[in-house]
Amino acid sequence: MHQEPHEMSFEYSITYKAENEYENPVENASWQFLIVPENNDTQELMRVDIKNSLGAKNEFSENGYGFRTVRINTLEKFQKLNFSATFKLKKKSFNPFGQVPIFDIASNYELVQSLYFKVDFEPFLGQTKFTTLPQASINLFVFDPALSIFDNLQKLNTWVYQFIKFNTGVTHVNTLLKEILENPEGVCQDFAHLFCALARANKIPARYVSGYLHQGNGYFGDSQMHAWAETYVPQVGWVGFDPTNNLLVDDNHIKVAHGKDFNDCSPLKGVVYSHGANKTSHSVEVQAQQ
Amino acid sequence: MNSDVKTIFSSYHNNAQLFDEVFDSNGVAKNVYQKLLDLYGNHSIQEYVQLNNKAKASFFNQGITFQVYDNKVTQEKIFPFDLFPRIIDEDEWEIIEKGAIQRSKALNLFLWDIYHDKKIIKDGIVPLDLITSSANYLHQMIGVDPPGGIYNHISGTDIIKHSDGNYYVLEDNIRCPSGVSYVICNRTALKRALFGVFNHYKTHSVTNYAENLLEILESVKPKGVDVPNCVVLTPGMYNSAFYEHSYLAKAMGVELVEGRDLFVENDFVYMKTIRGPIKVDVIYRRVDDLFMDPLEFKPESALGVPGLFAAYRKGNVCLANAPGTGVADDKAIYTYMPQIIKYYLDETPILNNVHTYHCSRPDELKYVLEHIHELVIKPVDEAGGYGISIGNRLTKDEIKVVQEEIKQNPRKYIAQPIMSLSVHPTYIDDSESFEQRHVDLRTFTLLGHEKEFVLKGGLSRVALKRGNLIVNSSQGGGSKDTWVLKK
Amino acid sequence: MLARVANNLFWMGRYIERAEHVARYLNVNYFSSLDAPNELSQSRQFVLRSMMFFVGEPIVDDSVILKEEDILYNIGLNPDLPYSVINNVKSARENANSARDLISTELYESINKFYHFVINYSVEDFTKKGLYDFTVNVTEMTAILRGKIRGTLLHDEVYAIIMLGINLERATQVIRIINAKYNDAVRAKGSYGDKIGHSFEWITLLKCVESYDMMRRYYKKTPTSISTLEFLILNPDCPRSVINSINQVHKHIRVLDESKTPNKNSTAFLISKVKGEYEFKYAEEIEEDIQEFIEKILDNLVQISLKMENEFFNY
Repeated sequence: MHQEPHEMSFEYSITYKAENEYENPVENASWQFLIVPENNDTQELMRVDIKNSLGAKNEFSENGYGFRTVRINTLEKFQKLNFSATFKLKKKSFNPFGQVPIFDIASNYELVQSLYFKVDFEPFLGQTKFTTLPQASINLFVFDPALSIFDNLQKLNTWVYQFIKFNTGVTHVNTLLKEILENPEGVCQDFAHLFCALARANKIPARYVSGYLHQGNGYFGDSQMHAWAETYVPQVGWVGFDPTNNLLVDDNHIKVAHGKDFNDCSPLKGVVYSHGANKTSHSVEVQAQQ
Repeated sequence: MNSDVKTIFSSYHNNAQLFDEVFDSNGVAKNVYQKLLDLYGNHSIQEYVQLNNKAKASFFNQGITFQVYDNKVTQEKIFPFDLFPRIIDEDEWEIIEKGAIQRSKALNLFLWDIYHDKKIIKDGIVPLDLITSSANYLHQMIGVDPPGGIYNHISGTDIIKHSDGNYYVLEDNIRCPSGVSYVICNRTALKRALFGVFNHYKTHSVTNYAENLLEILESVKPKGVDVPNCVVLTPGMYNSAFYEHSYLAKAMGVELVEGRDLFVENDFVYMKTIRGPIKVDVIYRRVDDLFMDPLEFKPESALGVPGLFAAYRKGNVCLANAPGTGVADDKAIYTYMPQIIKYYLDETPILNNVHTYHCSRPDELKYVLEHIHELVIKPVDEAGGYGISIGNRLTKDEIKVVQEEIKQNPRKYIAQPIMSLSVHPTYIDDSESFEQRHVDLRTFTLLGHEKEFVLKGGLSRVALKRGNLIVNSSQGGGSKDTWVLKK
Repeated sequence: MLARVANNLFWMGRYIERAEHVARYLNVNYFSSLDAPNELSQSRQFVLRSMMFFVGEPIVDDSVILKEEDILYNIGLNPDLPYSVINNVKSARENANSARDLISTELYESINKFYHFVINYSVEDFTKKGLYDFTVNVTEMTAILRGKIRGTLLHDEVYAIIMLGINLERATQVIRIINAKYNDAVRAKGSYGDKIGHSFEWITLLKCVESYDMMRRYYKKTPTSISTLEFLILNPDCPRSVINSINQVHKHIRVLDESKTPNKNSTAFLISKVKGEYEFKYAEEIEEDIQEFIEKILDNLVQISLKMENEFFNY
């Protein structure tokens, strides 16, 4: 989105912590963290501080979609890893409604039906493991052709917000939409998946976004990483929707990565050569200074 | 030789319905085989069996075997091998060679397009669905430029000779086609057993495959590398193709590595040697896409290297074949090969395609469901001859099952007319005589940066069961040495 | 060379050598006992116990009656026992398999033939009548393998690592054979007035390591404990002596570590140190406390092997 000159900006300080503990000593492990905020039109990463308790090197790399990752390979046997990352970030203040144009509704719908559009946005139009709707639910939310795509998406945002009851501990990282539709309770990941699935069912490209939420305003999002969605709106571009909070994405949302679904954005992936149980916990803290 | 001894062809039954590559319909040997039969045709069956056993022992001692588990006992077996070679004359070979290169180049351009602008889809030639529904299509490859611009460095093209005397392509294998080591072993075994025949033919050598493969791999080195360090990546010694992996590494003089021998640091790949880490630049990988990097693909893969894909995306290492090539050897894409060749090369296909019905198209689906008894039904994404139904072998009940399966998932199936593969005289243990058996030909094509190569020879695979049309070794097929004659 | 593959080649060498010594121990002890000069040395139980002692499973209880067929089967062809010849050959081939691209076709073919010979050997034939045939074939095939190793491989790192395995294992096996036969000599002492120093078991010992003829040519006398120990441990010209093996190990480690003055924590340094120590030993000194000597040198060999693992094979 285009920004007006001389607008305000915030400085955020974000701390991400992870603790992994293993029942038996681990010989060898590699982890990949997808937790570094991206640089884009509205946010600028100023400082990154990363520490791990094993004294292993923190290597910067990229995941399969070009988002920045931090990778750690262990050198010696261990049983516990403490990892912490602190980011200082400048976020521009913006009004998400500021740039909404007058939509040419008919030609927008024509555009999303065109072959070129479908080909170019193919990755974010298809179904994935986490965005597959049961056959019977395909028409759960049908766009009103009289309204613009943007207005429909806003309605969808509210609809998802009302449909799912925010509740932690009911779902987990592998919960499928089928289960959400049977028992509509869940967390941000489930809201974002359902939103993406229904936007895509209406032929609108939608991508899953993971990032941090500044909770100063009392939004849902707990003290973990947050998830929302971005959809492609003709005449505007990618617009962020936060169905967990029934909001358009604004300057409280700090984006890390996007993908087709959670699978592409998982904050922590690891390959650990060990046996026995393990415990993992993450925590996130976002502080703002104006 | 005693005249009442049974010679190898004295009881050969030449079925005129089939296209026999050695004998014409009057039982007269074709020109290229004449000399072979003069030298060889007078052998008694016993002499032949002796030679055959010698050849088998040669395979066994070289450890060119696979393992079978039976009653908790591991048995080693050799791949069935037939001593009677297949001969292809120079003119026919020229067609095959040109056709194979044409297909490889077209597939490479197609892959580049699919992972960049997708022009062929936008121009309405290949449907978008075929790409996006393919399990082998990798979104991670979108926009990635493989070193040297090559995706399918190594292609295995399966070709048959139809009863009309023409060659047809059955499928293109551009993931990790295997079998080339058997071409070389078959030749070694045949030379040991039949040295007397060999010097009467001017046959092209097949042992130059490895040196050409190495040149191809070196031609796609990452930018900034002077002399690339190439390696072969194997899933390990329990993989059924391990012999081939070790053969290729040895013949190229490069290291044969497993995933655990490699690691990634700062997006460069290194191998762990007795003198510490050494950088790796080109990896001929025989590990499937999804097992290559547990951080990017299947997290439970113990065969892969964490971070390998990131190093590849950065252009610091070349993978051959490139990840995601499988989207183009999908059997549904196969059916578009004539259009793909026309689109990218503006040429007509040199090798024929078998006519194919797409079950995903309603009108063709209808035809298929009504004509199963005269069609071959193939799943689009299986390799190794699995899941194939041959219509005229099915009972009524079996046809119903197949119809149901197709209706359930039409995108998964294509159908083709039952092709009458040519037959070749093959020694059959049970009957102690030569019989006609169906045969195909897998050719091996290499594509590099400004370099291409087709192995002059190939793996002629025979279906050992009488009447069987499926020749894959996993389905009990055997193989023959294939001689390509020099001009 | 890959560290993992180097480790495999090292162990391939060790297993080939181990298979050979186990087979020869069976052969020599069994057949020389048949016409041994005294009753105890002729006794089946005595010989079978010696065999079990050698493979590291001594039978302490004198009242146990061992069954010849079982013992021969266990040591020769029992696939479930780690010390059996068949398992050593299997392991040698398994290690060769994973390093197949580095060794010559000829060497691989010989290992493979060897493997098929052993795994296809009929258990019944072996325990009833095939002991001689089997063990002679095994020792001859290992000689072929050594020939192929020497004659068909480039004498580079690959060769050096295999030779390190072979020589460390040879030194270990020779020491273990000395230990077993010394134990036999002690046990046989009471039965025939002879002193330990002139036991019949020394002849068997020399035969077990194929050194009897060389020894006779060198000393021109019946072997005694002193001359046998001197020959098998300290004579650098005897190809089976411990010092000869250590000299070989010393030579081959220099291919991997070319530094003029090896670091004090390196394998090359440790080997030089061990070599120096044994170069200036004498037989009488060893005989004084042979048990202690055996333990010490076995420990030295284990330390060398561990150091190699850490320095070169750690992957």
